[in-house]
Amino acid sequence: MSVDLTKSHQTLPAPRPTDARLRRRSRSAVARSATGDRWLLVLIGLVLLAVGVGVTLLYYGVFGSSRAARPLLDPIIVVTVATDPVLWRVIAIAGGIVLALLGLIWVARSVRPEPRPDVVLDGGPNTTIVVSSGAVAEAVATQAATLPSVARARARTVGSTAAPALRVTLWLTDDADVRAVLHRLDEEVLATVCSALDLSALPMAVRLEVERPHPAPRVA
Amino acid sequence: MRAALRVLAPLLGLALAAAGVLVVIEVVAAWVLPDTVGLLVPWRAWGVTLANLSWNENPVPGIAIGVGVAGLLLIIVGLAARRGDVRLEAPTTAMTVTTSPRVLARLVGTRVRASDDVLSASVSASARRVAVAVLAWHDAPPDLREVIVGGVKELLDALPLRRRPRVAVSVRKQEGVR
Repeated sequence: MSVDLTKSHQTLPAPRPTDARLRRRSRSAVARSATGDRWLLVLIGLVLLAVGVGVTLLYYGVFGSSRAARPLLDPIIVVTVATDPVLWRVIAIAGGIVLALLGLIWVARSVRPEPRPDVVLDGGPNTTIVVSSGAVAEAVATQAATLPSVARARARTVGSTAAPALRVTLWLTDDADVRAVLHRLDEEVLATVCSALDLSALPMAVRLEVERPHPAPRVA
Repeated sequence: MRAALRVLAPLLGLALAAAGVLVVIEVVAAWVLPDTVGLLVPWRAWGVTLANLSWNENPVPGIAIGVGVAGLLLIIVGLAARRGDVRLEAPTTAMTVTTSPRVLARLVGTRVRASDDVLSASVSASARRVAVAVLAWHDAPPDLREVIVGGVKELLDALPLRRRPRVAVSVRKQEGVR
């Protein structure tokens, strides 16, 4: 009598991300986000504007002439600090450290290059297959450039290793049928990439440009 | 504005970091060396000046107005640094398609300038509006504006734009012979 001890390997399909998540990932792949920088700039601007307007109103006596006549470094503040100097020194040092850290984090986030994540594939137990971002980008760009009405194509990976996405720039000819190009990009290029990398979906942001005609030679 | 944001953001971050480091250095120095007048910043002299200056004296309003204007400029840069992309319909939800207003303007300009009755044309485009200013030959047909509007609308219909921009065309005729 023989008994089959092997487990039945039933390959489960990779969970497909929801449409909303895919849409969000493809939208954020359009360009590097500057939302954080913009809101910080607006926040600092609001603080400066409030200070400027407040001090101007104070100068013109809107808050009372006696208040406007007080010194900038008010004796009340000096006395308050002098009553417990250690506490105020600790507060000042902590505030300075927080300010320095926030500034350095902001600088690091602003000047950090946008990551080009590799695509990591599941090769089974104890095996991980990594496809470099350059290889994926080159494959996509080469294939996209072969589509009709596409003069040039450029691609790169964006996002993170856990959630990669593609950013593709297509330079179309003047007579291009944009709808047809996009459909073929989805059905031929994106489908091929997903199939080759065994991905259920790969969000893509497409940037369309128009190829400039080459100038005619000035000398025949 | 996007370029201004890219420059301003790290500069402001550096300014914040430098201010924080200066505060820490000066407070620690004043704590350790009580007789110091300031290592990097003459804060004792500044303190004396600020103690002798009241809010209703010059140059307080000038500096305050300058600070307010700087804040207003930062707000304008922050709000105007949005991407002015033109969105297009994508075949799937996993795809987002955009182009620039410059590309849209170029396509419209090429279409408008193809007419023999048009001497020159300038186009400004955004996701909401396409404005065309045409300089036509003096003997151009009277319905040239309608023809151009129709051509531009036909072009926009051919593009899978998510939002159809309004089309505004103005025609001015060139004096003299063709």
